[in-house]
Amino acid sequence: MLKRSTLLREMGITLLSITLAFGIGAFIIWAAGFSVSAVFINLWKGAFGGKLAIGQTLTKATPIIFTSLSFLIAFRCGLFNIGAEGQMYIGAMVAAVVGAHLHLPIVLHVVACLAAGGLAGAFWGWIPGYLKAQRGVNEFVSTMMLSYVAIGFSDYLVAPRGPLHDDKYWANQTVRIAATAALPRILKPTQVSMALAVAIFFALLVWYYLFRTPAGYELRSVGLSPPAAEYGGIRIKRKLILALSLAGLLAGLAGSGEVLGTHFRFIGRFSPGYGWDGIAGGLIARAHPIGAIFAALLMGALRAGGMQVQRSGAAPGDIAAVLQGLVIFFIIAPTLVRTLIRWRRR
Amino acid sequence: MDVLKDIFTIHLVLSALRLASPIALVALGETFSERVGIINVGVEGTAVLGALISALVAYFTGSPWIALIAAPIAGGLAGGLHALWCIRFRANHVVSGIGINILVAGLALFITSSVWGWRGTSTYSDTINTWYITGAALVIIIVSQIFLFRTKWGLRLRVVGEKPEAADTAGINVHRTRYIYTILNGVLCGLAGAFFFNSVGRFTSGMVGGRGFIGIAAMVIGNYTPVGALGAALLFGFIDALQMRLQSFIPSQFSIMLPYLLTVLVLAFFIRRANVPAALGKHYVKQ
Repeated sequence: MLKRSTLLREMGITLLSITLAFGIGAFIIWAAGFSVSAVFINLWKGAFGGKLAIGQTLTKATPIIFTSLSFLIAFRCGLFNIGAEGQMYIGAMVAAVVGAHLHLPIVLHVVACLAAGGLAGAFWGWIPGYLKAQRGVNEFVSTMMLSYVAIGFSDYLVAPRGPLHDDKYWANQTVRIAATAALPRILKPTQVSMALAVAIFFALLVWYYLFRTPAGYELRSVGLSPPAAEYGGIRIKRKLILALSLAGLLAGLAGSGEVLGTHFRFIGRFSPGYGWDGIAGGLIARAHPIGAIFAALLMGALRAGGMQVQRSGAAPGDIAAVLQGLVIFFIIAPTLVRTLIRWRRR
Repeated sequence: MDVLKDIFTIHLVLSALRLASPIALVALGETFSERVGIINVGVEGTAVLGALISALVAYFTGSPWIALIAAPIAGGLAGGLHALWCIRFRANHVVSGIGINILVAGLALFITSSVWGWRGTSTYSDTINTWYITGAALVIIIVSQIFLFRTKWGLRLRVVGEKPEAADTAGINVHRTRYIYTILNGVLCGLAGAFFFNSVGRFTSGMVGGRGFIGIAAMVIGNYTPVGALGAALLFGFIDALQMRLQSFIPSQFSIMLPYLLTVLVLAFFIRRANVPAALGKHYVKQ
């Protein structure tokens, strides 16, 4: 674990990076001819200005906590899981099917849906893990490619005349899940559901696994130095497969949470890019599971704020996506911020 | 059999060659940058940027030829940014590439909304014939093959990726070499982006659709050589062309999946990894 002073310095650098990114973002807004103050006021209003806004932020942050965990658990093992988006779709589809077509008592039904969705996602992560370990296939490319396959497959299932399409509506979606399978809303009238609590629970679980169990230590040691890990008697191939399967599991849970807590059915193309936000979240959290909660909150706030910016007409809401990209760029260059600090001291 | 005759025509071969060219350009660019030790997974975003800048410049100047020059320049800037991050600020290469992809994706949505008022799409503009880009790509690849293996500059750049310490001792500027070829990678990806714009006549945010990543796959299968990259790109171009034909026979959702599924299968079965540069992805600190 990090020493307290190191932790504080890391957090300081992270905050400075975010400030820098917003500074450059302000310049872009100004250069594009929009009002900087109007954009930032609406960004804040949409993210934190009142109960409804906070509800939006938390709703959006929930799946991103999962996808951030998905990215970082693979990252800790030295792997890049770029396919959380597709794993999330696979998990969501399976959770929606189990939620609608299985009849189980309350609680048990939710657990069954989460387990099924998580395992389906894990399977979609296992494939690139297996290919990486056994055939040396670059997991960056394969997770990405399988993501396209998963999304295309889900499009087929819920399209009109597709096997899972709800014939009562025109929209590309499945039938509604049973009431027993729904995760309760916890901040009515907003869409925040118990999925948020599940997500935070899993963040703690991932932290415990990575930093407090021998298995997690082994997984991290593969990421730090494969030759040393192998010398230490760790079976690397198994760890690679495990890490990507766990990554898939967490992404699958992201999708299940969306179905059980937010939409109550699988909707084609329901994700505005939560899988990608997870990559950003995992990087901004510097691959720390507890940090992932806060990074996901930032991503969720940007999404919610972006929607308000769009509604207000101050600028296109996608300015939030630009800000997100800038934040990542400053976060990932650890020596950049330090160089800037040194310049100022000179 | 008649169905097969409808699918396998001379047009299929020609469109395979045409669709192979952006993948080949990306694969060639990645071959250069990985040969000097820099991994760039930002090629996808760089191609998107090339297409976006093409659309912007064509819209504001009305000239598709000026757009064709602007796209590689924008790509080169993205490559330079990646090089700066990897070399000067010692960012993880893959992470920096992801950063480029995410930043460009955000910029593309923001800029299209700001300029054209449509999220993720531009209006139509004049284009050039994409066969010019395909022809140029073929010439560039053959020249690159000779450059890489038959000239002293080619030898130097390979040494930088293989053993930077030795290159340094021999008086080769490791960092400068890495900057040059990472920027070149960006230029080639920008040109690939121009291909995507010119083949449709406008920008749409999903138009590159993972073909940058397929370009990386083509580089791996081509075993870090320009001609090998071309061969692999032709295979993917053929799959892409076939996919478009198949749309009239099977549900489109399945035919669209085909290139991505086959990329994974090809990677799983045809892999050779003999030429991976030894210093790939490693930061070089001068002693």
